[in-house]
Parts: sequence; C-alpha cells; structure tokens
Amino acid sequence: MVVDYTKVSVAEIMTRDVVTVTEDTTIDDILDLFGRHHYHSYPVVTDAGELVGTISEDIVLEILLFKQIPASRQTHLSVVRSLGDDARGIMMPYPVTVSVDASLSETADLMLKHHVYRVSVVDCGKLVGILSKRDIVKEICKRRD
Amino acid sequence: MHILLQLLLILFLAKVFGEVVERAGFPSILGEIAAGVSLGLFLIRPDNDALIFLSELGAIFLLFTAGYKEINLQELKASSKVAFVPTISQVLVAFGSGFLIGSIFEFQFMTCLFIGVTFSVTSIGVSVRTLIDLDYLSKKVGSTMLASAILDDLIGIFMLSVVVSIAADQQMPSGMHLLAIAARILCFIAVMVILGWKVFPVLFEYVHRMHVRESIFAFVIMTALFSAYLAEAFGLHAVIGAFIGGAALSSVPLAKIQEVQSKVDGISYGVFIPIFFAFIGLSVNSGSIAGAGILSVLVVVMALSGKLIGGFIGSKIVGFDSYDSLIFGVGVMPRAGVELVLLSIGRNMGIIDDQVFAAIVLMVAVSVLVTPVLLKFAIGFKERSEMLRE
Repeated sequence: MVVDYTKVSVAEIMTRDVVTVTEDTTIDDILDLFGRHHYHSYPVVTDAGELVGTISEDIVLEILLFKQIPASRQTHLSVVRSLGDDARGIMMPYPVTVSVDASLSETADLMLKHHVYRVSVVDCGKLVGILSKRDIVKEICKRRD
Repeated sequence: MHILLQLLLILFLAKVFGEVVERAGFPSILGEIAAGVSLGLFLIRPDNDALIFLSELGAIFLLFTAGYKEINLQELKASSKVAFVPTISQVLVAFGSGFLIGSIFEFQFMTCLFIGVTFSVTSIGVSVRTLIDLDYLSKKVGSTMLASAILDDLIGIFMLSVVVSIAADQQMPSGMHLLAIAARILCFIAVMVILGWKVFPVLFEYVHRMHVRESIFAFVIMTALFSAYLAEAFGLHAVIGAFIGGAALSSVPLAKIQEVQSKVDGISYGVFIPIFFAFIGLSVNSGSIAGAGILSVLVVVMALSGKLIGGFIGSKIVGFDSYDSLIFGVGVMPRAGVELVLLSIGRNMGIIDDQVFAAIVLMVAVSVLVTPVLLKFAIGFKERSEMLRE
C-alpha cells in the first residue's frame, strides 16, 4: 500500500518528551546536557513553555573554541555570545519551526532543502515536540513494513 | 583590459592580500584596499561602469548583511542602557573634530558635514581581537565597547540619512527642510517595520514551499535590492535601505536558516564586498595623498583623538575610572567598513574631493594599524598602576 505522507501530520510522529533548557539555564548546565544526551541541539523555552531559541553543537563549539577561531569569523554577535553566561545570552533566536498540523512530507522537504536536522514543533508559539530526520526515516521504514 | 580579467585580478589580489593581512593580525579589509591601490597604480582605472556598479552592490550588501546578520533587537535594548552616554559622547566629539577640519580648510558646508559623519562611526573588530588576546573582553569596559559599536553604527546610518538628504536637495537646510527629512526617514522605517513584522514572515512561509531552486536565498537577495530601491524612492540612500531591510529580515526564522545565511555570506563576502573595498583602493589617487600633506596628517590626528577624547569623557561620565576610560577611548578609535561606505557615497555625490578621499582612506588604515598597539599600551598602563597600588 502506498502511503500518502502529505496526510501524515508531524503530531503523529514527533517526540513529545523533549529535553529543553530555559532562558536562565547556565552554560555549565548546558554543557552538562550535551555530555549526557546525544542530541545535536536543544530548544530554549520560557517559563510558560514558549519557544524562544535553540542552542546547537555549533554554538557550543564556537564558544568553547572562541579564541582559536580565525578572527574573520568572530562577528559582533558571536563575540557577544562568547560573553553570555546563560541560555538567553548564547542561543540562536527565531528558530525554524513547523506547526503541529504540518505534514510529514512538507517537513521532510524543509529539512532536505535547507539541511536542517531537527525542527521544533509548536502550537500557538508553545513547544509541543521535536522532529528529527531520524524520526521521519524510522516512521517511513515502519510504514513500509 | 577586459572586464572579466579585471574582476578576476581584483578578486584574486583582494583575497591574497586579505589573507596576508588577516594572518598578520589585522582585518582583511586593509589587504583588499591595498589590492585596489596596487591594481590602480599599474593596471586598472576606476572608470569602468560595470566595476562601479559592482562596487555599489558591494556597499549595499555590506550594509544589508550587517542588518540581516548582526542586529539582535534584545541585544540592542541592553546595549542602549549600558553604552548610550559613552557612545553619544564619542560620536559627538568625533563629528565635531571632522567638521572642524573641514572648516579650517574652508571646505563647503556639505563637505564639512560629510567629513564629520565619516569621523563618527566606529568599527571595533580590531579592538575586539586585542581585548580577546589580553583577556579583557569580558571586563565591563570590553562589553561596553561592544555595546557602543552597534549603537554607533546605527547613529552613523541615521546621520548619513540626514546628510545625504540635505546634499541631494543641494541647499542649506531650514527647520522645515530638516523636519521633512526626518519625516521621510520615519516613514521609510515605518514601512520596513510593517513589512518585517507582518509581510515578510507570511511571504517566506509561501516562498519556502516554492518548487524552484534556491527560492528563499533568492527572496532574501530580492529583499536587499527592494529595500535599497525603496529607500531611494523615499529620497534616502540605497545603503540605508539595505541596512534597514536586513534588520527587517533579521527576525524572520525562514529567512535566517543557517544555510541561507551562509549563501548570503558567500555572495557578499566572497564577491561583492571585496570588490567594494578594492574599488576604494583603486579610487585612491596616490598623488592625492602626497598632495593632501598637512590635511592628511590633521585628518588622521583629529579623527583618532576625537574618538579618544569623546570616548574618555563619556566613560568618565558613566563612572569608569581614568584607566578604563582611556581603554574605552582607544578601543573605539578604529574605522573600517561603514565609514568607507559613507566616504564612497560622499565622493559619488561630488561632495568629497580626491584629497579628502585619500586622506580619510589613509586615516582608516592608520586607525586599524595603531589601535591594537595603543590598546595594549593602555591596558598595560592600567595593570602596572594596579600592581603598584598593591
């Protein structure tokens, strides 16, 4: 049977139990998270659960190796981030999101077109889940079986 | 020489010289200007229409990427609180120094204004590197300097908007005239705010569903061109529009996807911006520097001391001690990207002549070269005095 992935919503397959950080989480705690889990990035949420940014491995590497980065890549914002001491100070604001009723195929298209590995799923601005390329591949394999 | 070969030579030398200068610890912009100066001496004349157009695109993309990638409204709010007084102080004193030089040499009022504006802006990249090397960036004076740099750029862009509008109307500004200029600037900003807030987020939702290749990247570039064009329609300069257009896109998630940012960086820093800086070098008439003589010396001295004195006074007002105020004043001395955009606009409008142009390019180079040395000296001075006190 051919599955129509435009009819499969991200809500059906996303991970709902998301590891998040709040805006006040300290850098040490964030580094600890990267050590404990295998995720490439973590969503940053407010106390009310609204998604305000993400912290990726790229940001953490940039901060840890800041002095070794060639000066031409030390932009104003990256310098400001290197001085941050909590999630608010180092996160990338305005993350790419998909709505909870987006389809699997359009989300996969977004990921493929722009080399995005994980997207946050939001409902009225609040984080409700995460979807990674691996989740999509797993789901497609499962449905083929 | 064929334009393709000219472009090839410009890009090649700009990148090679830029790399050499970057490895020596200075911003690549100096190498790119030097590439233009060397090519101008032997091979290329800055009178090719295609080259002029590409360099104008370089100025547009320089300001667009500044707005698109470096503006963070939350940081801007925080910066305004911390650095408002020191920034206003250093901008005012630097502007005054520039205006004074123009008056001493009896230049026209518009030329004096333009010299003042080009003196006002700061590019602290080279200071930041020194602060990082000396572990001083995280100190209060370092973070204030960072905050000041972004405010300083905004004030410079605003001053440019006003000066370009006055220059375009070719008359001494009356009160009504200044009000009309302010209204034009505010209207343009209001239009861009509405576009950034309501239109661009929806537009990019559709764009990212398009099937044609590179649709988001293409629409980001279109936004740069549209905002530059719209600014001209409002009687402002294209680069101002590009900067505000970039800022309007800076909070649109789909327009800020990392990969799209890399492509915008690629076309800007890989092609157009080096051409712009090399064109500045090409436009420097070596005879003019020698001819400018005392003017060049005064421009360098007054531009650097204007920032130093203004920064020192402003930092003292907000409670820094004399040592930190000195560090702040020295740290805000360097000029680079935005200043050269202002300078090239002044020249294109016929307000800045060859000698003033060459003198200010020389000032930019000197400011970038001497600031790290002076900053190390100022920090060492503070540390020695602290050791003596202990």
